[in-house]
Amino acid sequence: MNFETDGKIMKHSARFVFRIAALLATGLYAGRATRADINGLEGSDFRLTASAGTIVMPDGLSVHVWGFGPTDGNMQYPGPTLITTQGQLTQITLLNELPEPTSMVFPGMVNVVADGGVGTQQGLLALEALPGGTVSYSFTPRQPGTYLYYSGTRPDVQVEMGLLGALIVRPMDFDPLAPRAYQDNETAYDQEYLFLLSEMDPRIHEVVLRLGSAGLDGLDYLTDHQPQYWFINGRVGPDTFLPNNVPWLKHQPYGAMARTHPGERMLMRVVGGGRDVHPFHHHGNHARVIAKNGRLGTSASYEVFTIQTAPGETIDAIWTWTGQRLGWDAYGHAPGDPLEPGEYAPDHGKPIPVNLTELQDLAFGGFYSGDPFLGSLKSLPPGEGGLNQNGGFHFMWHSHTEKELVNNDIAPGGMMTMCIVEPHGVPID
Amino acid sequence: MSRTNKSVLSVALVACFLGLAIGSRADDVVVRLSGGDGYMKLADGRILYIFSFADFSNLPPEEVMSAGLLAASAPAPTIIADEGDRVFLHLTNVGMVMRPDLFDPHSVHWHGFPNAAPIFDGLPDTSISINMGGTLSYFYNVVEPGTYMYHCHVEATEHMQMGMLGNLYVRPAQNKSPDGTLLGGFVHHTGFKYAYNDGDGSTFYDVEFPIQIGSFDAAFHDASESTQPLPFALMRDDYPLLNGRGYPDTAVPGALPALAENGGKVSQGVSSLIEATQGEKILLRISNLNVTRFYTLASLGIPMKVVGQDARLLRAPSGLNLYRTTNSVTLGGGESKDAILDTSGVQPGRYFLYTTNLNYLSNGTEDFGGMMTEIIIHAQ
Ligand SMILES: [Cu+2]
Ligand SMILES: [Cu+2]
Repeated sequence: MNFETDGKIMKHSARFVFRIAALLATGLYAGRATRADINGLEGSDFRLTASAGTIVMPDGLSVHVWGFGPTDGNMQYPGPTLITTQGQLTQITLLNELPEPTSMVFPGMVNVVADGGVGTQQGLLALEALPGGTVSYSFTPRQPGTYLYYSGTRPDVQVEMGLLGALIVRPMDFDPLAPRAYQDNETAYDQEYLFLLSEMDPRIHEVVLRLGSAGLDGLDYLTDHQPQYWFINGRVGPDTFLPNNVPWLKHQPYGAMARTHPGERMLMRVVGGGRDVHPFHHHGNHARVIAKNGRLGTSASYEVFTIQTAPGETIDAIWTWTGQRLGWDAYGHAPGDPLEPGEYAPDHGKPIPVNLTELQDLAFGGFYSGDPFLGSLKSLPPGEGGLNQNGGFHFMWHSHTEKELVNNDIAPGGMMTMCIVEPHGVPID
Repeated sequence: MSRTNKSVLSVALVACFLGLAIGSRADDVVVRLSGGDGYMKLADGRILYIFSFADFSNLPPEEVMSAGLLAASAPAPTIIADEGDRVFLHLTNVGMVMRPDLFDPHSVHWHGFPNAAPIFDGLPDTSISINMGGTLSYFYNVVEPGTYMYHCHVEATEHMQMGMLGNLYVRPAQNKSPDGTLLGGFVHHTGFKYAYNDGDGSTFYDVEFPIQIGSFDAAFHDASESTQPLPFALMRDDYPLLNGRGYPDTAVPGALPALAENGGKVSQGVSSLIEATQGEKILLRISNLNVTRFYTLASLGIPMKVVGQDARLLRAPSGLNLYRTTNSVTLGGGESKDAILDTSGVQPGRYFLYTTNLNYLSNGTEDFGGMMTEIIIHAQ
């Protein structure tokens, strides 16, 4: 973030920097395992409740949201990531605590059976649970992959209100010790992250809070949609940088910070959960697109530096960073030093070929380690840097529709997060 | 080694001003850019306040501070490199002449650079950026050919809407193959050019044109110029552009005339006029750096063969070509496509490349113009 003030754009708040710094100090980022798994509910029998709640945006506005949540927990935005297995009969039971009927649809699933008695009604797209009612859906996923689920009841209103989530289907032969996204070795991965992209127009939420969906009749908010918030995994920047389950984001449990080590394969599950197409640009390196909409495409895979994410579409891609062929040693080694695991040997010991500018002419980022080299931390002028715990290389991953990098007129924010390439040995969970 | 190109503000080779580079070689490429403010003229005559870069690769470093004042160009100078080059890019922040209240740093983000390191990635949050009066050096070991783009990443929504956007592409090593080299069944000859190291001549072309999609919200620029609150939420682009111009200015060859508003500097040097002789292959290096929406560009009358995307040959690891022939390509911000237009059998005449988002065929309130340019096919 830029901490300059030019008097007209509100910059990144000092309060936020303090929060992140405090979290880093308490070691909330330090993990136990060396693999990141997607946060969600695993199994084949899911019990969800749809209910209302309020999320508070970084600019201070409260937004009334409807969301799915676990029966024994909070409503959340997005709904719980449901993780099931190919070929496994999967059942989702939904209790409706909203003031209006709701339901769920599962695009990409075939032969979804809905079940419910009293308290349900047949809607246009799905069997709906009336307020207080319960409905259940079951299906057997035929193919692994990344999918989306969302409300099938007035989705124009209810998906906007927050009733959506990701569905992940593991391959039948899934081995958690050697995970693959599909039954194909080119889909093997070391780290796995979800990037569910969505947006909200707060005017709609305000009307629904006061008058319910019916209040939107006669207004053009649904057709002339004007989003002011853009989310990754239900959070806007800078909240995306925070870990999962921070207590003050009680309805937004999912972080969006991705972490990996040099040479590892990161599986990116990118989901278009909103109405707009978002060009998701991942700094640092290209990614190889291996699947679209839960269908494997490794025989025709291609590389991109921006993932075009259309509404309702999902893309799986593999991202790896090695730093090879930079023309200088990314670790700052002297020629006699030992090689790091996977280091590109021809650049070993080569100095950075430019003189770096004197400190007084530079502006420093909060995530800058104070040194150009991976794994190295150096002190910066007072008040600068401070968010980089391990000397990791931080890369911003964001919508390249840069208009979406604001929170209701305040920049920066919106659809942005970071990917961190951590030095080998730094644990990732 | 000459790097001049009649259609671009070319990257000059300035071996004698290597003051900031250490460990440099005689064949290193030195690019010297200023970052600051200036003016451009839209196709309906409106003068627009902009931020951008300007090219001073031919000036000694100590002269960039003064030469760069009000020199912002739209688009930013085109940067062309060859695979294997080592590029030293020196960015001098000359400040905003019309906004003395602003002290914004700037940066250069080589968008899509593979296996990047944050120190040269230009993202202010994760590394460093340059304050007014200072110069920051970037180093790029250029090992992957293709169509990239570059922009400032400081206050990205604002600085990019204001215009800090430019074309950047890398020509492949295959161009330098010895005469007579067999590329599969294709015989290479000296002077032949390719979009990528295809190994089979399938990305051969005769003439190339960078086409950068953009669009500006004039109200945002006016607010910036008059130090008003910036309308981020209301941002709605009303001047669709190719290489910083709306039609018919896009089809004006060479630079647009100098402006009085910036002290008589040429600020719009990149034409989008596409010209070829019947039978030639045209490579369009299309990128999109607008900050508000997706755009589709269509070619009427000459099919496009898309051979590359995001600075990569469209080919699966198995060797399967994923080329596709189409009449249109759709790009969001931060995407690029390489399209080859084969003019053999195409009648000489005037053709158009234009957006099929038809409401963007406009310049402000003028209902004709916008994101469109001409393709002129000359008779042999
Ligand atoms: Cu800038
Ligand atoms: Cu970019």
